[in-house]
Amino acid sequence: MDIRLLTTADLPLIQHANLENLPENYFLKYYLYHALSWPQLSFVAVDVSRPRKGPYDYPKIVGYVLAKMEEEPTDGVQHGHITSLSVMRTHRRLGIAEKLMRQSQLAMVETFQAKYVSLHVRVSNVAARHLYEDTLRFRNEKTESKYYADGEDAYSMRLDLDDVAELAKRYADEEDEDEEGKTKKKTTTTTNGGDATAALKSDGVDEGDAVGEVGRDPEADGKEKKIRVAVGRGLGVGDLVEKVETKQ
Amino acid sequence: MPQPLAPKEAAQFRTIIRSFEDKQYKRGLKTADLILKKHPKHGDTMAMKALILNSQGKSDEAFPLAKEALTVDMKSHICWHVYGLLYRSVKNFEEAIKAYKFALKLDPSSAQIQRDLAILQVHVRDYQGYIQSRTAMLQARPQLRSSWTALAIAHHLAGNLAEAENVLTTYEGTLKSPPSRYDIEHSEAVMYKNSIIAEQGDYQRALDHLETAAKHNLDRLAVLECRADYLLKLGRKEEAAKVYRLLLDRNSEHTLYYEKLEEALEIPADDAAARKAIYDEYAAKFPRCDIARRAPLDFLSGDEFRQVAESYLTLMLNKGVPSLFANLKHLYSDSFKKDTLREIAEKYITSQDIDSESKDKGEAAALYYLAQHYNYHMSRDLAKAHEYVDRAIEKDPKSVDFHMTKARILKHEGNIKAAAEMMNTARKLDLKDRYINSKCAKYQLRNNENEKALKTVGLFTRAETVGGPLADLLEMQCIWFLTEDGEAYARQGNTGLALKRFHALNNIFDVWQDDQFDFHSFSLRKGQIRAYIDMVRWEDHFRDHPVYTRVALDAVNLYLKMAEKPSANGTNGVGEEDALEKKKAAKKARKEQQRLEREEAERQAKQDPNKGGQAGDAKKKDEDPLGLTLAATTNPLGEAMKFLGPMLQSSPKSIEAQIAGFEVYMRREKYVLALQCLNRALGIDAENPRVHEQVVAFRKLLDNPPSDLPPKVFETLKAEFKPSEETADLSKFNEAFQVKHQDSPLHVLSAIKAKLQLGVDLAKCEKEVAGLVDHANATFSHAVAALETLKSWRSAEVNAFRQAALAKWPNVTRLSE
Repeated sequence: MDIRLLTTADLPLIQHANLENLPENYFLKYYLYHALSWPQLSFVAVDVSRPRKGPYDYPKIVGYVLAKMEEEPTDGVQHGHITSLSVMRTHRRLGIAEKLMRQSQLAMVETFQAKYVSLHVRVSNVAARHLYEDTLRFRNEKTESKYYADGEDAYSMRLDLDDVAELAKRYADEEDEDEEGKTKKKTTTTTNGGDATAALKSDGVDEGDAVGEVGRDPEADGKEKKIRVAVGRGLGVGDLVEKVETKQ
Repeated sequence: MPQPLAPKEAAQFRTIIRSFEDKQYKRGLKTADLILKKHPKHGDTMAMKALILNSQGKSDEAFPLAKEALTVDMKSHICWHVYGLLYRSVKNFEEAIKAYKFALKLDPSSAQIQRDLAILQVHVRDYQGYIQSRTAMLQARPQLRSSWTALAIAHHLAGNLAEAENVLTTYEGTLKSPPSRYDIEHSEAVMYKNSIIAEQGDYQRALDHLETAAKHNLDRLAVLECRADYLLKLGRKEEAAKVYRLLLDRNSEHTLYYEKLEEALEIPADDAAARKAIYDEYAAKFPRCDIARRAPLDFLSGDEFRQVAESYLTLMLNKGVPSLFANLKHLYSDSFKKDTLREIAEKYITSQDIDSESKDKGEAAALYYLAQHYNYHMSRDLAKAHEYVDRAIEKDPKSVDFHMTKARILKHEGNIKAAAEMMNTARKLDLKDRYINSKCAKYQLRNNENEKALKTVGLFTRAETVGGPLADLLEMQCIWFLTEDGEAYARQGNTGLALKRFHALNNIFDVWQDDQFDFHSFSLRKGQIRAYIDMVRWEDHFRDHPVYTRVALDAVNLYLKMAEKPSANGTNGVGEEDALEKKKAAKKARKEQQRLEREEAERQAKQDPNKGGQAGDAKKKDEDPLGLTLAATTNPLGEAMKFLGPMLQSSPKSIEAQIAGFEVYMRREKYVLALQCLNRALGIDAENPRVHEQVVAFRKLLDNPPSDLPPKVFETLKAEFKPSEETADLSKFNEAFQVKHQDSPLHVLSAIKAKLQLGVDLAKCEKEVAGLVDHANATFSHAVAALETLKSWRSAEVNAFRQAALAKWPNVTRLSE
């Protein structure tokens, strides 16, 4: 299965994979919000060898990671967050989830200088916890009581991205060398520690964070001399349902 | 000009605006009424009141009030602006744009109105208008980077790449000092400009720009991918190869990188050894990489293939990887590879040491592989598939995957009932896994068990959603469930609920289209322009997605069925039967309605009274939960157009779309459009059996044109009908078609249907259709198609045929329905 960056055209089938695999679901606009805010951070696993089915074929999504940057980090530290990750049951144990995560983490560091990445996982989800704890070396920060809609607790986990930053720096050095036309060879070690196979169950991580007011225009807040009727805001604002509901 | 207010009222007016923005609608209305008490004809206040009413969902009150506001104060930009906003909210974009333009004329300095106009222009793809608006906005606020970017986007989308680039360059010229390296907006703007240069085909300049301006760009992956691509396009292969190697170091699971590396290294496609060496290199470098191990199977042949396949299969089977078959089935178009893979798996089983425990896992995986092998359409032998999957289940009786595959095998036998039961067995083996839950519900729907399926998926939907599982699935846009649910209802003749689902799905696609609206302004603030452009381009064609085509075809076919006039069949007693069936259906619907009401009452009784005032209360009550109004339409063909129009526009290359289009247009007597569909279908596949039936139907029309057909139209039709010569003698033409395709039951069926059109005795045609059960190449799905045909003719042969078919294929659920 190929691992590559997500594009807008992938979103319907990402939404489908999410609905088929996980209990935490989102409408398409929430996926758009990720794809248009942090397009570098989300990746998909696709079956590229599958023969085309008809003239309008979209690649089958067998796994995805939907990630974001925390917009207003309470600790003031730039960090990424995994909104949702899942792999179809038919494509488990190929290490897809781990590979998706590693690509996302690298981009978090390179593009947004993230210091760590956080996520939530169901306490009962042994397979996903194995991936995060043992394969990817996340550590459990705290338990969030009744985090999920059905009343289950979540572990709030995080991974410091120092090692990824190290890796990013090495890639950058190699690029520079390449551009300078040096041929000196460096030994590259693989980034994959251990050989734990990511036996990710379909319920990976997921959560229902607020989406923010997608259509809000800060310009409209500016005070001007004349009476300005900011009538457009009320209609243009996409206050996405989850936020409204969690507030209540 | 807005009518002036005294200071007190002016303050109140500002309160209305604030209330509206904060969604304090009740307060806003109260304040508006205070002003209106004193100044009953204050246009701006009336307009604001209308706007608030509209936000409360009372658009039938809002529109007259907004109009009245305009009549009392034609010169107020607020009144016009509100008028535009109301139109926008009902998606009448054309009128909204007109109103905004009026408002802007009255107050040319209003940034707000200008912005609303601009957003709507890009939303409806009025790029020339958008360029105008963005130019004006840039002049008003040249200090903002986003003003420049927005104008560049306008030119870019309008297809003027050079001008787009020019705008970006002009802005860069105004920068006194280079922005910080970590300025994400700047970083992205550079990559956006680079993409515009490349889109102009000027790769040398794009590369130069990349190597200077984007040297330390924050989007490293994009920089590398672009650089590799430009270098390769410029023929600088050695350098391109190096960059592709850098990309492979970052991500070795990307087929394209390997292919491009081969191209850069100038390795000929038939030099398997050289190609394999590259993959071997990365397999050694990244021990956990899958593609480097598997990809050579695509191009190796003979013994080399066998060798590599054997080591790959052994590795994966030893690990017990269940997704092995999914990873290899694309090789099955090559029959040597198909057989070799089977042999290796068989050999793996026989070479196993039965005592060892780890071997047990491997053996189960191999048995599972073979079960999938024999279940796959290119290597199908369902008896063997059963045998292998049963052996695998014996090894691991708790395996969800094995039971799931057993259910699939049953489905391929046509035994949908047993398949659904087996999938439920698989589901029970892992109650926490939604994937198997979804599959189980899908199979239940295939077995027409709508209620049961909803209960199944309800185990995972959000419990607190008002309206139960279905409401959650609707809200979360769960397309697969709604589609399967609608199809199941359609099969059972529950037209109302089937249409209900198909329209709900159509609404979801409308929402997807609307979703882009907020991003026209949002993306400018976020600065991720390439992603925004990608979204705009996708929105322009997203209904070509097969998930939409499927729904559209479902709906159109159902409407076609509704439009069929029962009397046209000429059989006796049809009227009575029909009336009886309608009565039955109505009774069933009434019962269903009562059940829903009962359940709703129960649900409300169970709700915690302390948690009153849930968000759902504000939701509009569904006036037609069973779709009875939809089913009662007197204009099914007109309704069908809601689905057919977008489908034909977005998926003209789909033969199913063209076939459906022909049927609808013929019945609507839009012969020119029908012929257009027919000609397109002929262009896609002239031998398609359905298309053959349509050619016959159209020729019949030409031979016997309706008396009210204008001669000019008739001449056009005759001139444009392509197969006119060969169809001169229709009976002969049809005969020849049947002979040509005598080995294909579906083609023969179409030829028989054409005979009926041509006046051959119904009884004779029925006999011929019934005879298909003995056709040498007939499968149960052909028998189902034949049965459907007989049913649609209300043939007396139905029962006899059903029995004959069931004798041959005893477990096929669709034959006994």
